[in-house]
Amino acid sequence: MNKLKRALIYLFLSVAAFISIAPFLWMIVSSTNRSVDVTQGKLLPGPYLGENLTKVMDNVDLVPALLNSAKISITTTLLSLLIASLAGYGFEVFRSKAKDRVFGILLLSMMIPFAAIMVPLFRMFGSISQWLPFIGIDTITSAILPTVTTAFLIFFFRQSTKMFPKDMLEAGRIDGLSELGIYFRIFVPTMKTSYAAAAIITFMSSWNNYLWPLVVLQSPEKRTIPLLISNLGSSYSPDYGLIMTVILIATLPTAIVFFVMQKHFVAGMTGSVK
Amino acid sequence: MNLRARNNLIGWSFIVIAVIMICLFYFYPMIQALILSFQSGTGTNLTFVGFGNYQRLFSDTTFLTTLGNTFLFLIIQVPIMILLAIFISVLLNDKNLKLKGFFRTAIFLPAVTSLVAYSVIFKYLFGPEGLVNLFLLKLNFISDPIQWLSDPLWAKVTIIIAITWRWTGYNMIFYLSALQNIDNSIYEAARIDGASSFRQFTNITIPLLKPIILFTSITSTIGTLQLFDEVMNITKGGPGNSTMTMSQYIYNLSFRYTPDFGYAATVSYAIVILIVIFSVLQFKLAGDKK
Amino acid sequence: MKKMLALLLASMVLLSACSSAATNKTGNESETNGDGKEKITIWAWDPKFNIAALNIAKDAYKAENPNLTVDIIENAQNDIVQKLNTGMSSGTTKGLPNIVLIEDYRAQSFLQAYPDSFFPVTDYIQTSEFADYKLGPTSFEGKNYGVPFDSGVTGLYVRTDYLEQAGYTPADMQDINWDQFIEIGKKVKEATGKDWLTMDPTDLGILRIMIQSAGSWYLKEDGRTANLQDNPVLKEAFETYKKIVDANIARTHSDWSQMVANFNNGSTAAVVSGNWFTPSIMAATDQAGKWAIVPLPKLTNNANSIHASSLGGSSWYVLNVPGKEAAAEFLGKTFGANADMYQKLVADVGAIGSFKPAAEGEGYKAPNEFFGGQHIVSDFAKWTAEIPKVNYGLHTYAIEDTILVVEMQNYLNGKNIDQVLSDAQKQADAQIK
Repeated sequence: MNKLKRALIYLFLSVAAFISIAPFLWMIVSSTNRSVDVTQGKLLPGPYLGENLTKVMDNVDLVPALLNSAKISITTTLLSLLIASLAGYGFEVFRSKAKDRVFGILLLSMMIPFAAIMVPLFRMFGSISQWLPFIGIDTITSAILPTVTTAFLIFFFRQSTKMFPKDMLEAGRIDGLSELGIYFRIFVPTMKTSYAAAAIITFMSSWNNYLWPLVVLQSPEKRTIPLLISNLGSSYSPDYGLIMTVILIATLPTAIVFFVMQKHFVAGMTGSVK
Repeated sequence: MNLRARNNLIGWSFIVIAVIMICLFYFYPMIQALILSFQSGTGTNLTFVGFGNYQRLFSDTTFLTTLGNTFLFLIIQVPIMILLAIFISVLLNDKNLKLKGFFRTAIFLPAVTSLVAYSVIFKYLFGPEGLVNLFLLKLNFISDPIQWLSDPLWAKVTIIIAITWRWTGYNMIFYLSALQNIDNSIYEAARIDGASSFRQFTNITIPLLKPIILFTSITSTIGTLQLFDEVMNITKGGPGNSTMTMSQYIYNLSFRYTPDFGYAATVSYAIVILIVIFSVLQFKLAGDKK
Repeated sequence: MKKMLALLLASMVLLSACSSAATNKTGNESETNGDGKEKITIWAWDPKFNIAALNIAKDAYKAENPNLTVDIIENAQNDIVQKLNTGMSSGTTKGLPNIVLIEDYRAQSFLQAYPDSFFPVTDYIQTSEFADYKLGPTSFEGKNYGVPFDSGVTGLYVRTDYLEQAGYTPADMQDINWDQFIEIGKKVKEATGKDWLTMDPTDLGILRIMIQSAGSWYLKEDGRTANLQDNPVLKEAFETYKKIVDANIARTHSDWSQMVANFNNGSTAAVVSGNWFTPSIMAATDQAGKWAIVPLPKLTNNANSIHASSLGGSSWYVLNVPGKEAAAEFLGKTFGANADMYQKLVADVGAIGSFKPAAEGEGYKAPNEFFGGQHIVSDFAKWTAEIPKVNYGLHTYAIEDTILVVEMQNYLNGKNIDQVLSDAQKQADAQIK
């Protein structure tokens, strides 16, 4: 009975894992095949990976797009972590009625669908362009700014702060550290795992963000990876082997970030959901 | 300045950047959208119409269809995904389980893919001659290929499968983290009392996970009510309007057909109101003061 | 507190340093450098078709005006539509190009929504030199805003080897109606086991082809009122569509690549499409000599229906931003006047324009070996001249995607046709403002 149950559990988990991975395997296989093979549903790896890679290098501006995506995602992640953790920490450590009310209002912003504010946001950046061209339309900055602060992340850091031992704060104050000093020297190092979890989530969503960069970035040399992929698929005669290769390369950075920080990730989540 | 007032001020300085940013990039555009929602017209030729757009909302069959679709996704997909995520996380939390890391990583993996990428892949897998049909035909589950993307009902099923595939692992991580906080001795005690694993699950695990369940169901509800990327990239809302969501309707009104930004803003306010109602409802249902 | 401010400032500096390096250049400003050089930017979407055509035009224009730099940018068609809407509605022209390609079905919605954002090209081209049906979508309030590009002229592509097995030749198909078309399809399927057509239930392109062949459209002459109820042409098109489905000669696809694959692997025998489909057919080099292009079938019971129609043609538009004169000049001297260039377009890209004088050139008369030596370009050019002119109006896609696709499914499932069309009309009247 017990053995049967064990076997069932393994079977279930294996099926779930297979379903989760299968599309990736297919993507990898397709990147080694020609377009014709892909459209005809070939399931075995072919010898065309090299050819596809050469085609990608010759025909697609992959490297600039990777650089743009990296610039945007890394800056967004760093700023997001800083702003949201400062705020989460502030809301929890310096708790007051007024701040709780502000916190509640900030949470409402989670409910605004992006499609709803896209046009007004674009107009805003349009008028900023007149006098501050370096943060106006078609700049990397304009792609970053609106996505930097999310109520979700502030909420996450507030929850994490809840399990931060308060006596460490007191110890810091007794040592004569300033409040900001306590935050940087004590809080940040202690909360490494929470930062790791937040970094993964932010990096992934920033790397994969499509709609806002699509609207605000106009010139092709500023294109990010998702914009590049959507462009490749829109030709009247798309090359699927090439597209799969690009998608594969584009997925690598987020996969790597996840694998590297995986351990901290689960631990960090654990902290925040206590 | 006394100490308390000083501390209070320092506290504000910690949160001020976030407050400014959110006001600037969420609330200010939302006020602009409110003004827009009382205007109508094509493109830049807008005229003031009062509550005209709001009246139009109730006679607009497309809007009502998108409302229905969104609710359908919500009612079916969110519970399936959350139950599945809890179930998997409980299995994975077993100390004696081998290959735990592999299973966890594999099941989380879909969450790292970009939407553009995974929709391209799903379009293939679920095509009339795609792998899913091929597989089902080989196993004799079906005799004719299923029209996953072009039949109104199956297209909805495809979207539900796609969202579940992508987000179950993500939610699982939250439960897994929470489960690691539960003291194992509670289960030991239950086992000594002779409670079955099912009883342990319903009487210990679920109550202890309640705050997380609330959290994930609210974020998933918000996500589903704002559902856009998947539908846009996999079915484009079709066939007909059968998978179109409210967010996609806003997008279509603004950017796909002859633009009517005023009416689009009205539809977005309808979504915001619904989300607020739902979140309040979920809090009430959970019966939790927190 | 000071530290925090310093940190903030530092991060802002970092941020702008990251980006300011790349911010100096924007799309639209036609920069006049010291040496009198001007620059214009153009958006289009298909590197093998309209972008390839642009490159030919760019080379041709070098001889005319070596001082103009032409920057061609590839954007997906949906992305272009969205970027134009966002940019024009926000009142900032920053980042917009000088010239943009717009599909004819969508043209009026842009011209009427943003009348001040486009620059009329009436003075730069001879409108009478273009096929008549292209002038409707490209003009607004008596002014011409678009330089017509590809004709989108339709034809019926058929596999001659499959036809032969069923006892037909392309010669039998020169003057057929849709009922005969379906009969032939049944015979071919019987004889070869291959499907006659492949269709996407969410794309009613074939319906659009049918109704335009009889000079009718989803919208009335005003371009705003839906023309669905009591539209005999649309009714017959619906009925014909159902006959095709009921005859069980069509397979379904849900994606462009699946459709192309259905031809390239030989499982489908025929397709009704625009001439821009030719390269996709020719991609299967092993099928050389097995294809022919015959005239479009006409509606069985409608006297107005002819053997010519259009699907998905597009035109060039000049935006009202600095550099517009140079941009209009560029279009006028290339797509608007250069018949020799059109020969190259046909030979290298397979793009058939709607510029009438081009049809006299050598390139248009050349035979195509893939299609068994058929003079496909001159055939297409001949049909182009016959395409009926209709007003695509403001809401073609809105009506088709959100109303007709749904009602078509209802109709196929047994709903009465008059009811279908009157329900569609009601919905359209309520929805389209």
